Amino acid sequence: MQEYSSQAAYDRGEAVCVIGAGASGLIAVKNLRENGFEVDCYERDTVLGGLWNPQNQHSPLYPNTHLVTSRSQTEIPDFPMPDDWPDYPSAAQMLEYLTAYAKHFGLSEHIWYGSEISQIDTVEGSRFEVVVKPAAGSAARRLRYGAVIIATGHHWAPNLPAYPGQEDFRGTVLHSSQLKDASRLRGKQVLVVGGGNSGVDIACEAAVNAAGCVHSVRRDTPHLPKYLGGEPTDFALARIGGRPKFLRRFLTDRLLKGPGRLAARMGIEAPGPGSAGEEPVRNGRYLEHVGDGSIRRRGDIARFDGFDVTFADGTEMRPDLVVLATGYAPKITLVKPKLLGVEGDSPYPKLYARMFSPRAETLAVAGLVEPGVGVLPIVHWQTHAIAHWLHVRKGDPERAANFRRQVVAESDQYEVESGGASPRHRLAVDAEEYLASLGRIIDILEQEPAK
Amino acid sequence: MSLTAWVRRARTPEPAPVRREIAVFEPADLFDIDIKDDPEASPVLCCTDDPAGAAAFNALWLKRIATSGRYAAAVSVRGQGGTPAAEGGVEAFTHDVVQAAVTVPRQAVLIGHREGAAWAALAAGRYPAAGLVLVSPQRFPKQPPKPVGGPPILLVVSESEAQSKEAQAVTEAYGTAPLTFAGSPDEVFKGAAAEGILDAVLSWLDGKK
Repeated sequence: MQEYSSQAAYDRGEAVCVIGAGASGLIAVKNLRENGFEVDCYERDTVLGGLWNPQNQHSPLYPNTHLVTSRSQTEIPDFPMPDDWPDYPSAAQMLEYLTAYAKHFGLSEHIWYGSEISQIDTVEGSRFEVVVKPAAGSAARRLRYGAVIIATGHHWAPNLPAYPGQEDFRGTVLHSSQLKDASRLRGKQVLVVGGGNSGVDIACEAAVNAAGCVHSVRRDTPHLPKYLGGEPTDFALARIGGRPKFLRRFLTDRLLKGPGRLAARMGIEAPGPGSAGEEPVRNGRYLEHVGDGSIRRRGDIARFDGFDVTFADGTEMRPDLVVLATGYAPKITLVKPKLLGVEGDSPYPKLYARMFSPRAETLAVAGLVEPGVGVLPIVHWQTHAIAHWLHVRKGDPERAANFRRQVVAESDQYEVESGGASPRHRLAVDAEEYLASLGRIIDILEQEPAK
Repeated sequence: MSLTAWVRRARTPEPAPVRREIAVFEPADLFDIDIKDDPEASPVLCCTDDPAGAAAFNALWLKRIATSGRYAAAVSVRGQGGTPAAEGGVEAFTHDVVQAAVTVPRQAVLIGHREGAAWAALAAGRYPAAGLVLVSPQRFPKQPPKPVGGPPILLVVSESEAQSKEAQAVTEAYGTAPLTFAGSPDEVFKGAAAEGILDAVLSWLDGKK
């Protein structure tokens, strides 16, 4: 039995509970409030900004983290970043931006810091009882809400591989989130494991800081530089999306030909980005470092052996420091897995339109997608849709039922066929199709009710 | 702002950045202990098509707005006052107004004068303004975007303009009745007419809080 400060739960009426005060949570709070909802936001840490705040004790930032998507494709649609900022802002600038957003829209007064949610239960049909556990001292509180939005993100639980002999390895092994300072790389023989954005970024840091850098990748991923044709890559590619259909293929191929040939020259045999739907790595420096030999690429690790590491191709090295940039596993333990459509052995939620719980109408998840473009605008439109949905549901049950059917139909459209085994690709959506689908969902919700 | 409008804008090259001149007057700048900064009151951001830009509001407006306890700011869009000229038409002016709005510490009320009213209305289509005040609008878009977040809207025109096509178009677009002021439309920044307009706007804003 848990100790509660009072027996009865405090009823917050139609108020909405938002969990997490990172980028997604802040956007959710702002959009819900703009639509007239009362909101309580709970943040387990004592600071806002989520993964972008280095003071967050769980922050996954590594040295010199920058956005991999450009400013114009990443900024929140109704709160642009200052236009004198660089095309690819740093993590510090992202935090400054999110802090300004929270201040501008007066969000802080709705956030309860140091409050971890320990339990969420459905009560009275579609309402939720939430148990809030303050970090310091006092007993847990129980509150009831009309709806819950989970915005806890998916970059918290490190995805750690286990190799034979790893526990007896004599060098240091760190996950990318534990590497807070590039000075730890200085003068060392560094082995970076993982071919995602973080792995490639850290390999570039090691290329200029460490005594030597070996980069172990299990399989080849498509590589994109941060600029193409004189423009930020994602912007250049998005612009092609606005051209007539028969031209798109041709223009995309022309744009990607150079980078594709460079990657092939460096021994990266991967289908071009966009064709297989696999999210490309975005880094312009990496291939040049491979080209000047400051990064040596190797295949998968076969085993650790005392001081040494043996790769699948039989080569060996003796690293002082191994950085596992192997990403994160999505992990939501707040609610019963069934509520998020987690079934069978797969730990991945199956949500309607990637945001609505298939079981509970008033439970939604914001930002649990990997769209291959900036996530902030996606979350903006998601929470916009969620807020509208909560309105429609309250006011017009018949439209709500219709909408529900529509959403189920939408949900089947943008599952990306994923050949890769890497966890984050399980959350991948095709940005263009997903945005179009979000657009249709918002249109349905905004339609005037038929009289 | 609709999702499609945003997608279209995100695929269009952004106007060249310029160093914008923004004039700011805070209640604390008045050195008058009787005036309290009201943390609940929305800040105000003004723009006009007057070539002086932000400076046009220095004569009376900013100080008067600050006296009412509000953070008062005015922006010179590219080519006006102290802001260097740069490429781009209405789209770029709108961009300048939005960029100025997000630097204001809290959600701002947009006040636009003449063509500035058109920019303010376009800006309100992509920034959730706390209010939108259109003073003697000119060259107003035929179909202004739906303001984000549904802010209250006030239309202020001089008596001589009350029947103008512009005023009627705006009234139709937003369904707001115009508030008329006596005097010439050119007396917005100084003189008795200006005082009258400001009082009307400020009391309307206080009523909408």
